[in-house]
Amino acid sequence: MVEQIERVKTYIQGFDEAMQGGIPKGHVVLVSGTAGSMKSSICFNIAYNEALAGKNSLYISLEQSTDSLYQHLENMNIDLEKIHLVSLKDLAKIDEVVRSVKNSTKGSIIVVDIGCIRKEIKDVKVGDNKSWMNVIKNIVKKIKMETPCSLFVLDSLSALYTLSSFENPRVELFYIFEFLRDTGLTTYLISEMPLDGSKYSEYEIEDFLADGIILLKLTPFRRNIIREISIVKMRATKCNNDVFSLEFKNGKFNALYGGQNPLL
Amino acid sequence: MIKEKWKFDIGSSLLSPPIICDLTNTGHHSILTATKDGKVFLLDFEGNEKWVFDAKEHVDTTESMFFDSESANSILSTPQICDITGNKRKEVIFGTEMGVVYALDAYGHPLWKFHAGGSVRGALAVGDVNGDGQQEIIFGSGDKHLYILNTNGRLIRKIEVGCKIESTPETMGDKIIFGCDDGTIRCINYEGHELWRFETDAKVIAKPVITRFTEGGTIHILIGSMDHYLYTLDEYGELIWKFKTEGAIYSRVTLADINRDKKLEILFGSCDNNVYALKNTGDKIWSFETGFWVVAPIVINDIDEDGRLEVIACSFDHNIYILDARGNYVLDYVPGLAGVMQQTGSYSDVMTSDPGKITAKKLWQFQTDGVVVGCEYTKEGKNIIVNTRRGIISNLGHVRGD
Repeated sequence: MVEQIERVKTYIQGFDEAMQGGIPKGHVVLVSGTAGSMKSSICFNIAYNEALAGKNSLYISLEQSTDSLYQHLENMNIDLEKIHLVSLKDLAKIDEVVRSVKNSTKGSIIVVDIGCIRKEIKDVKVGDNKSWMNVIKNIVKKIKMETPCSLFVLDSLSALYTLSSFENPRVELFYIFEFLRDTGLTTYLISEMPLDGSKYSEYEIEDFLADGIILLKLTPFRRNIIREISIVKMRATKCNNDVFSLEFKNGKFNALYGGQNPLL
Repeated sequence: MIKEKWKFDIGSSLLSPPIICDLTNTGHHSILTATKDGKVFLLDFEGNEKWVFDAKEHVDTTESMFFDSESANSILSTPQICDITGNKRKEVIFGTEMGVVYALDAYGHPLWKFHAGGSVRGALAVGDVNGDGQQEIIFGSGDKHLYILNTNGRLIRKIEVGCKIESTPETMGDKIIFGCDDGTIRCINYEGHELWRFETDAKVIAKPVITRFTEGGTIHILIGSMDHYLYTLDEYGELIWKFKTEGAIYSRVTLADINRDKKLEILFGSCDNNVYALKNTGDKIWSFETGFWVVAPIVINDIDEDGRLEVIACSFDHNIYILDARGNYVLDYVPGLAGVMQQTGSYSDVMTSDPGKITAKKLWQFQTDGVVVGCEYTKEGKNIIVNTRRGIISNLGHVRGD
């Protein structure tokens, strides 16, 4: 008998249905798109809905501050009061954050503001044996080990490349993906795509290493811009690879008009 | 045959070969080894712990997050043993991934420690590089500097080299020779002036071995690179010869007169899974293929006391191989002279070429329970001490019979 794969919803109506109900649990998925294509919003929305269902997520933001992120979410009418939202802006307080997640009766999202942490830490010099990559790995490991966390978002891979220099990206990325896969967390890696859409990720090896790729695009049409979403690949899943129009309405994401241009 | 006398689970991964030493100069030898979780153990030959030193550094929560938690405390290279205090006992010196260099006394008590700016992955070299009659301690670091300390752990010189150093340096008078992560082999003097550099195509983390193959002859510097070549340079950094393997070379070569021709031969392992024995001209005598990478230095001794040397090779295929150092002469197929003469063409090659070749001859093989990271042999007690990556130290011995 084929074992039923447990799946994590994307909470995009019409899109989960295009991939047998969601992303297989434990997959490492690249969420790739140009600026403004709602990559971060979609990923946060997944974590938010998982938290509403009582589950915990870790969201590491390398560039956008928590203040800016929360403001953006409020503008989208996402009610953050309904979940346990906790920010980590000081690495020394990670144990406090872990305790608060453990004590919470609601599902939690731990948002790590790396930009703020960088401003706070000026005396730790990164070197050959000290790196921001280790910081990210250690946070993930600790949160995974000490809380029942099931989902991880890294916003973004592109910012990580600026923060940590990779001498041998092919080898190092292989180990990073293996590390993420070993954690068992369903992982979303946000990847900034060039405007010409020529590649999904910086080194392109990420495309092969990822278990899935979700592509977000902004397509100009006449005097308008349409947001589009599609599944480029999703291992262990029968997918509808149509390009859907992406719409955010009444606090919910919808994937519409699979295979068709809505304005025609 | 080879039999296991005992094994000891050290409780952490092992990354380097053990060393056999008599720290107190009492004639009692012990086994010294260092672990991935930052401990140095001294064991007796019954496998009992004599002392343990924990080199774990305590750092605050914030700083600890910047280290790779799995390897932060690692001691990657075998500690060095030398009398740096002049008390006729030996001290233990080593560096850690955290970038701390320690000196311990013969009883495992810390004498001093020194903080480098980056990881210290290679072993430390000891030599008098400034001609003051005192020993200095020399090591490279991941912070792209070469450090020279006095025997009290005080910094004498910090020389910027512009690339990470993971190799173990070697000294030659006032000169220091070392490999760099940028693929260069460099020679600098005590003042920090670069005398020469030789470029290879990949990281150089092996220790250079310096020798003269004939009395009064040219100095040969032998060093392997991860570009798959073993290089032999003269003292001015000029290439004498190079030998190509099909895999990265991680460790130093071993020199021994394996065929009693009164010349030293060169033995080393490669990540093409082979052990190589070369003449000092760079010509291959034999090679022996194991099942996986040969990373540890080759050990040579007469382990069965038959008056002939054996080669002990550690492989990542979990096995220890004991080879006949001289190899085995095997005849190739040579057609009978009549058969040759009946064919047309030139027969000079057939008539003049060597009718056979020397191949390695495996005497014994012993399977351990993990990747073998190195071994050491001691004549007293005839012990082969083997370290595996899983953290098991085994004492093997040759038993007559098979």
